[in-house]
Amino acid sequence: MNISKNPALLDHLAASYALGTLRGGARRRFESLARESVIVRAQALIWQERMAAMTELEAQQSPSPNVWKRIENLVQAQRAQAAAAPAVAGLSAMLETMRRNLMLWRTAAVGAALTCAVTLMVLPWQAAPKVEYVAVLAGESAQANILVTFDPGNKRLTLKRVGSFQEDEGKSLQLWALPASGPQSLGVLGRDAQVRLTALENQIQDVPALAISLEPKGGVPAGQGPSGPILFKGALLKTTL
Amino acid sequence: MNTAPSDLELIALIERIAARTEGAERDAELALKALYDATAGKLYGLALRVVSSRDHAEDVVQEAYLTIWRVAGDYRAALSPPLAWMGVITRSRALDFLRRRASERADLHTELDEHVSETVAGNAPNPMDTAQASEQAWALHECLRKLEGKQREAVSLAYLRDLSHGELAEQLKIPLGTVKTWIRRGLESLRGCMGSLA
Repeated sequence: MNISKNPALLDHLAASYALGTLRGGARRRFESLARESVIVRAQALIWQERMAAMTELEAQQSPSPNVWKRIENLVQAQRAQAAAAPAVAGLSAMLETMRRNLMLWRTAAVGAALTCAVTLMVLPWQAAPKVEYVAVLAGESAQANILVTFDPGNKRLTLKRVGSFQEDEGKSLQLWALPASGPQSLGVLGRDAQVRLTALENQIQDVPALAISLEPKGGVPAGQGPSGPILFKGALLKTTL
Repeated sequence: MNTAPSDLELIALIERIAARTEGAERDAELALKALYDATAGKLYGLALRVVSSRDHAEDVVQEAYLTIWRVAGDYRAALSPPLAWMGVITRSRALDFLRRRASERADLHTELDEHVSETVAGNAPNPMDTAQASEQAWALHECLRKLEGKQREAVSLAYLRDLSHGELAEQLKIPLGTVKTWIRRGLESLRGCMGSLA
């Protein structure tokens, strides 16, 4: 059927397409028609514009003042990096760059102890306020997997997964501080790319390293040490701002 | 933030961001700050509606402004009102976030449900705010107002969270057939109304 000759049907399909409720085969058919016919394409664009206005209709809310601080810091960190790596754009690209730098560093350091080797990258994070502790946790593959920052002011530990490792459904990753007195649990990680945990500064300061173990789902019971293998480990550095 | 900035003011700020050159970014940073002050409340309200958690919505807003900083040069070609352009960027960052979470967590819907029932009950009479909206948004607002509260909720959630009929039925706890009817009638009404206004 030639829908460009049936204006009511075309209008309805274009509106459903722009709303997003036109799915599956119907959506794909509409898309190929739009590629072939300028009338169909135009109608789709009109409705996309109309629906886009939906994003303007939510009531205002006030974000925390930290949000601007974070944006400002990231923009400035990007500028600081721009000289060295002009292509850097955005946080994910920044992390990717860090990961690559780390791998280069590792290539250069071949021969050093590979198991649970430790590297620290502080450059982009120095621009962030209040971040005073940083660690990059790496495993046997000698690839950075988890980036940890601790902001003692907000008691917030932030973990970012920068490698491809994802635990199985029935398992959890657990973060440990490794003081001389023995491992202390800092919490169990969710499956998100970014995980936030709460910790006190006295749980972190004077701790030389952090580690991540693979545990049964939900982690080991309180008071016990790690029961599974240590997957990633890294030294903890206190950055001076 | 008290007086709504005009589209022209917002466009001027976006163009200052786009005009930066390496080594001379100070003015662009000031413009980004001014743009943030003028629009963050709006974009945060939107992000909150899509991801329904303050922490996560703040991450989305952060990503949205970093995107705006990066792609400001594309604005000229977008032909959209500035706030709609920024809104689309924010929605897209928020949807990235939801997709990432959906692939990582199975309990996403449970969490969203609570928020959805809240918004349905709490904001049904007039959930919309045209304080800063473009003309185009004002027209959509007028047309959405003609829908029943629940139909309007279904239509706007379908768009903002990019939900299928099935996902909407699940989140709104309403039979699939009812959702399909609401969306169909909602779209019929919007088509008639937008056709006459725009």
